[in-house]
Amino acid sequence: MKPLRAWTARLRDTLRPSRREREMADEFASHLALHVDDNIRAGMSPAEARRQALLKFGPMEAVKDAYRDRARFALAGRIGQDLRFALRLLRRAPAFSLAAIVTIALAIGVNAAMFSVLNAAALQPLRLPEAARLTRVSIGIDGPVRRGVSGVASMLALPEYETVAAEAHAFESVMAYAPFQPVTLGGIEPRPVLATLASCTYFEVLRVRPALGRALAPADCRPGADAQVAVLSDALWRSAFAADPAVVGRAVTLNRIPFTVIGVSPPGFTGTEVVAEDLVVALPAQPALERERDLLRAADVSWLMVIGRLRPDATLAQARRDLALTAGRLTAAAPAGRIIRLDAATATLSSLPEARRLVLAIGTVVLTAVALVLLIACANIANLLLARAVTRRREIAVRMALGAGRTRLIQQLLTESLLLAGIGGICGVAVGSWASRVVVAFVIARLPPGVWPLIFEPRADIRVGLYAAALTTLTGLAFGLAPALQSTRRDLAADFRDGSGAGARGGRLRGMLVSLQVAVCLVLLLSAGLLTRGLYRAQTLDPGLAMDGVSVVSYDLPGAGYTLPAAAAFQRQTIERLAALPGVRAVAQSSAAPLSTQHAETRFDLGEGRSRYLEFSVVSPGYFDVLHIPIVRGRTFTAAETQSEGAAIVTESTARRLWPGADPLAQSLVLDKVPRPIVGVVRDAQVSRLGFSDDTYVFLPAGPDSQQRLQLLVAGTGPVPGAAAIRAAVSAGDPQLATTVAGLSENLEQWRAPSRLVASLSSALAALALILACTGVFGTVAYAVSRRVREIGIRVALGAGRADVLRLILRQGMRPVLIGIGLGLAGAAATSTLFSSMLFGLSPYDPLAFIAVPAALTGVALLAGYVPARRALRVAPTEALKAE
Amino acid sequence: MADDKTDVWQGTLALMILKTLETLGPLHGYGVARRIEQTSGDRLSVNYGTIYPALLKLEQEGCIASDWGVSENNRRAKFYRLTRAGRRQVEQETREWERTTAILARFLAPGEGS
Repeated sequence: MKPLRAWTARLRDTLRPSRREREMADEFASHLALHVDDNIRAGMSPAEARRQALLKFGPMEAVKDAYRDRARFALAGRIGQDLRFALRLLRRAPAFSLAAIVTIALAIGVNAAMFSVLNAAALQPLRLPEAARLTRVSIGIDGPVRRGVSGVASMLALPEYETVAAEAHAFESVMAYAPFQPVTLGGIEPRPVLATLASCTYFEVLRVRPALGRALAPADCRPGADAQVAVLSDALWRSAFAADPAVVGRAVTLNRIPFTVIGVSPPGFTGTEVVAEDLVVALPAQPALERERDLLRAADVSWLMVIGRLRPDATLAQARRDLALTAGRLTAAAPAGRIIRLDAATATLSSLPEARRLVLAIGTVVLTAVALVLLIACANIANLLLARAVTRRREIAVRMALGAGRTRLIQQLLTESLLLAGIGGICGVAVGSWASRVVVAFVIARLPPGVWPLIFEPRADIRVGLYAAALTTLTGLAFGLAPALQSTRRDLAADFRDGSGAGARGGRLRGMLVSLQVAVCLVLLLSAGLLTRGLYRAQTLDPGLAMDGVSVVSYDLPGAGYTLPAAAAFQRQTIERLAALPGVRAVAQSSAAPLSTQHAETRFDLGEGRSRYLEFSVVSPGYFDVLHIPIVRGRTFTAAETQSEGAAIVTESTARRLWPGADPLAQSLVLDKVPRPIVGVVRDAQVSRLGFSDDTYVFLPAGPDSQQRLQLLVAGTGPVPGAAAIRAAVSAGDPQLATTVAGLSENLEQWRAPSRLVASLSSALAALALILACTGVFGTVAYAVSRRVREIGIRVALGAGRADVLRLILRQGMRPVLIGIGLGLAGAAATSTLFSSMLFGLSPYDPLAFIAVPAALTGVALLAGYVPARRALRVAPTEALKAE
Repeated sequence: MADDKTDVWQGTLALMILKTLETLGPLHGYGVARRIEQTSGDRLSVNYGTIYPALLKLEQEGCIASDWGVSENNRRAKFYRLTRAGRRQVEQETREWERTTAILARFLAPGEGS
């Protein structure tokens, strides 16, 4: 009872020290007044009376300290005192403080930004009501029997979902869905949209109430019900239906199947994934929409994502226990040897195991890279602090001589560095929340064309705050501890005597820090340099085929219900109509447009038991003419070959690699047991990958079996006819078919965009690292100069030339830089192969980059060292000898 | 400076303060210090200032309470008085002290004991 009472009293005074302080001053003054009165009454003069009273009272400051220690918690009081002292010091050295705070703010900011992006991707619950209870269920299957996958392997088949929904008691409701289904929304102008196939509990589980009409209800999914119902997204309702309030009940067509609109989602609801859904349709509509396959009847295909909502009183562990039981039953019913596991995790944007692994891998790389930047920053500030410790050595020595304990001094010095880190950290969080938004917007804006727009907006939460706080504390300790230990370690006498105390110890540490900084900086700079060179190459490269003046026309015929014969007829008519357009030189068909991402790869038999995986596409005879790819030997396909499909054309490099020294026209490739004689050899062209003209590539004739999946390549004589004219020609044959018309050269952007993206990001990081590394070099040289003022003075007094002195100082400063450059070159050589695919044929050891970048860095470092080194030359010998 | 020595001094000082307040009633810090010095026959000569941390500790523990008042010669002063908890504390500590001194006395008296 008593200790508790005392404790609360002390806590009160700790939190509000001023009241107690006033009380103490009043009481002591009253004490002295009483004592002086008594003394005067005893016959002393007023002055003597006061002197005696003060003497009897004891050392006033010591008594006050003892009283204060009793009044508050001693540690808290001292921390307050240290903080005030530290603040005074920071104000007294504004340039240093500002430099340190800006450095920390940038470094912590970059770290917090990257963490908050990862946090949003992998840790934060979805942005839905009570989302912490939304739990994603995934499946893991081990065993010899392979199963079909439409999506990723950890998705469930329909019967598995139904079992989970029936048996998992920890969930109040469970739903399954298959997002990202491209379908064509019919209308005056048909448009491709993304549908989510969802079980009828979708909206119930997500707690989303439609803004108009109704959501999917269990009745919609019952056998025999009219399953052709759709809930539009707010965005689609606004863009395609002009926000018509009477849209509910209207008929729309999806892939030519009539659907009824039953509702509109509320604004802001975009589904549970990173790409916004345009509409939600009931799961039973799947076979109608896809026509070619019926996943509802496929008992062994992974295609459904599953999310359950935990009961308010249930935990994730309970859900896992439920799922383990269900998994046991599923395993028992599965083919022998197969083991089924079910797992649950709080639903985030990447809570499927595959996505989690990917985010974890990327996250590790990114967080390591930014942590390296933070490390550089810490090294810098430690360097600055060490340099400052020289000027404070006397202060510290005096305080130690006056009896301050070493622990107390280290505490004081650490308070200073933690205060610096704290201010920097707070600014850093602000920088970070801004930077994360900028980086994400930057990345999203630079995604290659054809990628659906991402819905991704990182926001700071308690996790980001804790992460930043932990980093800040670590940072403060990291850059404060070594200088604090070092500056309180040396013996007093030496410091009073002269200025050259312990040098070598800290010198080596500082040198290592600078080497590390330079190495990291060089790796980043070289990566940025190589990527920029690669980008330039990609923009100037000749792909070996005509890109300009060629349009790519694509449509989804199977989705629109075309059978093979109907597709063939439609293709033939469309080609005729397009060829008749004024300004069109030629039209060809291809299964994959050059430099698109649609190229297929398969295993060809080369005879004599040899076989090889080769990339290929299916093309019509006119393909090479349209793209201006010269046929160097043989000929293109004949009409007969497009019927029989018994022929192949290869590129020069392919012929060289597969049949070195032999006549390619005498060879054949075997696919599906059908021999395909080589009828022609074409000049190398970068058909599948930009920058790699010597890839192997095979062209097969476009026969009747492939007519559903062919795109058209339209070449113009001059400028190609506009997209509108082409689209009109296509819709003359089928007005309800959604058609995409794009310039072939837009495919180039697909290749340049990632490389531009990575180049810009690594340039930004490299610039930051460069600034930090330069500060580091500057700091070390400045420190070295300040330590050696005396020595320099003596050298100059003894007749050393200025150039000699400069060389001496610079040589010492440059040694760690050169070591760092060596390390950095090794590091860059090891990592540059990682992004060789973005270099478009440029060697990952490109000599220009590998010589120019280190040379430039050395020059910058030399300059950073020269500025402080010049100070050494201005030192007058007499002054130097007087110094300290 | 050894801490244990201070602890003993703090402990006895606390008891002296409590006893003084019990005997004389409400009193200011100066008065308490004066009285302790006099009672000890001027054999205990300490700095008056050391009394204040001890008073503060007793107040924090609830053994004494304080109020600002006016002294006999018309000076503003802070008067300390014993609380009920303080009275119990005096009785208990006095008993303990007597027991301790009795035991110690037996050890220190030569030739006596078992």
